[in-house]
Amino acid sequence: MTFDPASAAARGLARCHSCGRVEAVETRHCPVCEAPLHLRKPASLERTIALTIGAVLLYFPANLLPVLFIKSSVKGDSQNTILSGVVQFWNDGDYPVALIIFTASVLIPILKVLAIIALCLAVRSGSSPQAMTRLYRLTEYVGRWSMVDVFVVAILVAMVQLGSVLQIDPGPGALAFAGVVILTMLAARSFDPRLIWDAAAASAATPADDNRETRGADSAAQPPLHA
Amino acid sequence: MDNTNTTDYIACPDCDGLYTTPETPEGDRIVCPRCSAHLLTRRPGFVSHATALVIAAALFFLLANVFPFMSMKSDYRESEMLLAGSVAGLEKQGFTLLASMVGVFVLAAPILVMGTLLYVLIPLLQGQRRRWALHFCRAMQEAKQWNMMEVYLLGVLVSLLKLEKLATLNLGPAFWAFVGFILCLASAITITDPAELWRELKEAQQ
Repeated sequence: MTFDPASAAARGLARCHSCGRVEAVETRHCPVCEAPLHLRKPASLERTIALTIGAVLLYFPANLLPVLFIKSSVKGDSQNTILSGVVQFWNDGDYPVALIIFTASVLIPILKVLAIIALCLAVRSGSSPQAMTRLYRLTEYVGRWSMVDVFVVAILVAMVQLGSVLQIDPGPGALAFAGVVILTMLAARSFDPRLIWDAAAASAATPADDNRETRGADSAAQPPLHA
Repeated sequence: MDNTNTTDYIACPDCDGLYTTPETPEGDRIVCPRCSAHLLTRRPGFVSHATALVIAAALFFLLANVFPFMSMKSDYRESEMLLAGSVAGLEKQGFTLLASMVGVFVLAAPILVMGTLLYVLIPLLQGQRRRWALHFCRAMQEAKQWNMMEVYLLGVLVSLLKLEKLATLNLGPAFWAFVGFILCLASAITITDPAELWRELKEAQQ
């Protein structure tokens, strides 16, 4: 594995994932918080890909199966999938709510999976590390908001227990959907954006350049930061 | 290189750029020049500020759990829900897996974050460190990512709109306490820079 020459890893220094302390990787365990030290997240790409595949597979039952069963003595029984819930809000004229749910439950999971695929490809090509790092941060931040539909189901089930008049029960889709959100969150978390910078540095160095190790060490001596 | 102290360095979590720890004035946000990730924020006195916020959050949390969170009135019946009600409701109807997921995201994770901050920050005011402080702090780093209180709040608002046609809904006092809890805990988390907290902990005596 080649490291980006400007990186801490190129000098054998690992940043503790828990407390941020920089320490020689041979130390094995962080002297501050005792967490194990790694130069890069272990098996990052493999884990990310495996979790993403799991999320994609769960995405189908999450959208096809009902998330809510509504039993009503007045309006009869009905069920809601995620999409039919969005359509219902839209037809009722609640456009902002329809858009929020559509974004959180439909758009974000799809975009998140596409973003993770793009990030994994960037680890191979090493292209535009700045933009990809920004995409990674966005992906990590935005994922949790998809959970809103699961919370809505939980709240509706708890509130609406009016016996034979009206009763709401959660459907299997809600569980599958929660699974999608958790798996994509884990996938984003196991991804290591530093791998993109390593790949970018590797592709920037031409194959004929024999001295790239030493040159890298020179350019790694960076000036102190100014805020 | 070998004789330099490694505490002189900071590394970027996102691109692994290595920098010498800057001498910065108070309150400065230090950003990675390569990938603009947030590296460090110096906030002297953050321990006392964060302690105050966490204690306020704890009081709000207590109120949020005692009073009714939401109440619903229809032609037929009236029902009330506590904050923990959405978890208990799912559990009671046999949806244990779903109940435990919601329980982890809106109760366990925020409680762990709040509890850790209380456990760690209050002794830090006197420069002390409790026995399990390091372990709790590491657990808190994980819990922070799974804490979804603000998402739950959005869920509450969406549910209100969804139920609006079926019944009259009222937000109880616990709802507003919950909003206060979220605001206080979120600001306590924001002003407690993990690197700074660990540095303080390392200096504190056990």
